[in-house]
Amino acid sequence: MTLSTIPSRLPPEASRTGISSGLRGMASESPVSLILWLALALGAAWILPGLVSWALLDATWVAEDRSGCDPSGACWAFIVNRLPQFGFGFFPPQERWRAAVALAWPVVALAIALGPAFRGRSGLVAGALAAYPVGATLVLWGEPLGLPGVGTAQWGGMTMTVYVGTVAFVLAFPVGLVLALGRRSSLPALRVLSTVFIEVWRGLPLIAVLFISVVMVPFLLPPGTELPRLALALVGITLYTSSYLAEVFRGGLQSLGKGQAEAAAALGFTYWTAQGYILIPQAIRAVIPGILNTVVALFKDTTYVLVVGLFDFLNIVNAAVADPHWLGLANEGYIFVGIVYWSFCFLLSRVSARIEWDMARGAAREART
Amino acid sequence: MTAAAINVVGLSKWFGDFLALDDIALTVPRGCSTVLCGPSGSGKSTLLRCLNGLESWEEGEVVMSGRPVGHRPRDLVALRRRVGMVFQDFNLFPHLDALSNVALPPRVNLGLARAEAEAEAEMLLAQVGLADFARKYPAQLSGGQKQRVAIARALAMQPEVLLFDEPTSALDPESIGEVLDVMISLADAGRTMVVVTHEMGFARRVCHEVVFMCAGRVAECCPPERFFAEPETERARAFLAQVQY
Ligand SMILES: Nc1ncnc2c1ncn2[C@@H]1O[C@H](COP(=O)(O)OP(=O)(O)OP(=O)(O)O)[C@@H](O)[C@H]1O
Ligand SMILES: [Mg+2]
Repeated sequence: MTLSTIPSRLPPEASRTGISSGLRGMASESPVSLILWLALALGAAWILPGLVSWALLDATWVAEDRSGCDPSGACWAFIVNRLPQFGFGFFPPQERWRAAVALAWPVVALAIALGPAFRGRSGLVAGALAAYPVGATLVLWGEPLGLPGVGTAQWGGMTMTVYVGTVAFVLAFPVGLVLALGRRSSLPALRVLSTVFIEVWRGLPLIAVLFISVVMVPFLLPPGTELPRLALALVGITLYTSSYLAEVFRGGLQSLGKGQAEAAAALGFTYWTAQGYILIPQAIRAVIPGILNTVVALFKDTTYVLVVGLFDFLNIVNAAVADPHWLGLANEGYIFVGIVYWSFCFLLSRVSARIEWDMARGAAREART
Repeated sequence: MTAAAINVVGLSKWFGDFLALDDIALTVPRGCSTVLCGPSGSGKSTLLRCLNGLESWEEGEVVMSGRPVGHRPRDLVALRRRVGMVFQDFNLFPHLDALSNVALPPRVNLGLARAEAEAEAEMLLAQVGLADFARKYPAQLSGGQKQRVAIARALAMQPEVLLFDEPTSALDPESIGEVLDVMISLADAGRTMVVVTHEMGFARRVCHEVVFMCAGRVAECCPPERFFAEPETERARAFLAQVQY
C-alpha cells in the first residue's frame, strides 16, 4: 500500500529506554526524590554491615548440631541438614526424585513462561499445568505407575505446598469459570445457585472450609469409602479458590462491552462458542493481575493444611525448629521460610508482568507500516 | 425462489410501556438494497435488530427468505448464520488480528478448515482493500479500516442478507468514503442489504427503496428518486432539510 513508501524513521534518542537513559533520569530528579534516595542509602549503611556479617561472614554452613555452630553468626547448617525434609517431607530417600519432579514441574512451567518467546509457548505452559493434577499425583503416589507406593502421609514440605497450590489452582480454574458464567446466566435458578455457592465458600475462613471437608464430607460418602485427608483437603481448597476465581472472572466478563457478545451472536456463534472463542479469552486477559493475585494468596494459604494433619513447607520448618538438637534457631528457620515464599511469589508476579507485557505488545505490535 | 429476502408484517415491539415499533410492514426483494432513515429514536436500529433476532418482539411476523423467524435459540443461531450485520462501533474482536477476525466465524460456525477459512479471509480483506493489514490488530487500525474488516467479517459467513446500522456514523469524512465505496460495490454486485444511514448520497446512488421511519412507524416507503424529489410527509421534508445541510 501507499503507506509503505514512507521512509521509516526511528523515534528520537531520548524516548528509547535503557540504562543510560535511566541514569540520566536520576540526575534530573526532584529534591524530594534525592532526599529519599539519601535516606535509603543511610538506612542500608546502618543495617547492612551487621546483617552481612551475621548472615554470611560469621555464618556456619556445615555442622552436626547446634553446638557446632559459631554463636556469633547464623547457623545455616541447620537448614542444610534439614533441606531434604524441608523440600520433600517424609518421602523415602531413594524415591525423593519423584517428589523433586512434582516440585519442579510447575516451577519449570513458570520459567518457560518467563523465558524467551517461541511458537506455542503459552500452549506448552497451559498444557503442563493442565496435566499436573493427574501427572503429579501419579508420580508421587507411584503405585499405578509400577513404582513403590508412597502414601499421602509421607508427602510434605515444599513438595506439598507446591502440589496443593498447583492442583487447587488448576482444578479451580474451570470451576471458577463455570461459576462466573452461571452467576451471569439468564436462567434465574442457575444464577441463584451459582451466587449462593460462591458466597458460601467465599464467606468462610479457609480453616473452616478445611474442617468441613475433612470432618463432614466423609459422612456424605457411602460408608466404607476411605479417602486420604489430602484428597478431602484438596476438595475444600479447590472449592474455596474457585469461588474467588469466579469473582475475578466475573469482573473480566463484566468489563467487556455488550457489543462483543452481540457481534458474536450476529455472526452465528452459539452461547458456548461465543464464550469460548470470543468472551472468555478477552475476559481472562483483562484480569491476569487478579488471577495471579488469587494464586499468590492461595500459595500462602496452603499452609492451613496443618489443621488436618498435613505438613507443608512452613509447618515442617516449624516442627524442625523445635528439634532439641537444633534449639534456638527460629531466626534461621523463618528467614529461610520467608526467602523461599517470597521467591515463589516474586516469580509469580514476574510471570504476571510478563504475560501483560506480551499481551500489550501483541495488541500494539508496531503500528508503523 | 420467489419469496422476498425479507418480509415483515405487522411488527410491534414495546420496551416496557414504550412502543418502539408500531405495526411495521417492510418487504425487501432479493438482490435489492433498502435504506432506512429517520430521526434519532425513531426505531431504525430496533427494527434492524429484529431482522436477525437480536431483539425480540411482541406482535407480528418477520420472514427471512421464506422462513419465519422464531424465538428458539437454535433457530436464531441458524438465522444469524444467513444474515450478516455491521455495527456502528465496529465491534471487532480486539484479541484477534484482522485475518482471524474474518476467518474465525466461518471456521467455528460453518466448519471450514483453517487453511480454507484463512484463504477466503485473505481474499475478502483484499476485496475491501486491506490485503496488507491482515496481521494487524484492531487497535492498530483506523476507524475506516476497522469498519472494512467488519464488513469482510460479515461477508465471510456468506450471508444471504447484510444489515448495516449506521456503518459510517463514527468515521471521519475520508474514511466514510472508503467504507461507502465498499458498500456500493456490494450493492452493485447484487447483495441484498438493509442500511440504516444518513448518507443520502449513498441512498440516491444505490438503493432501490427508501424507508423513512418516524416514532416507531414507517412514515414513507418509496423509490429514492421520489423520496428525494417530493417527500410526502412534512416530517420527511424537515428531515431531508436537516441531513442535506
Ligand atoms: N434496550 C432498550 N430499552 C428501552 N428503550 C430502548 C431500548 N433500545 C431502544 N430503546 C428506545 O427505543 C427507541 C428507538 O430506539 P432505536 O435505537 O431503534 O432508535 P434509532 O432510530 O436507531 O435512533 P438513532 O438514530 O439515534 O440510532 C428510542 O426511543 C430508544 O430510547
Ligand atoms: Mg440507531
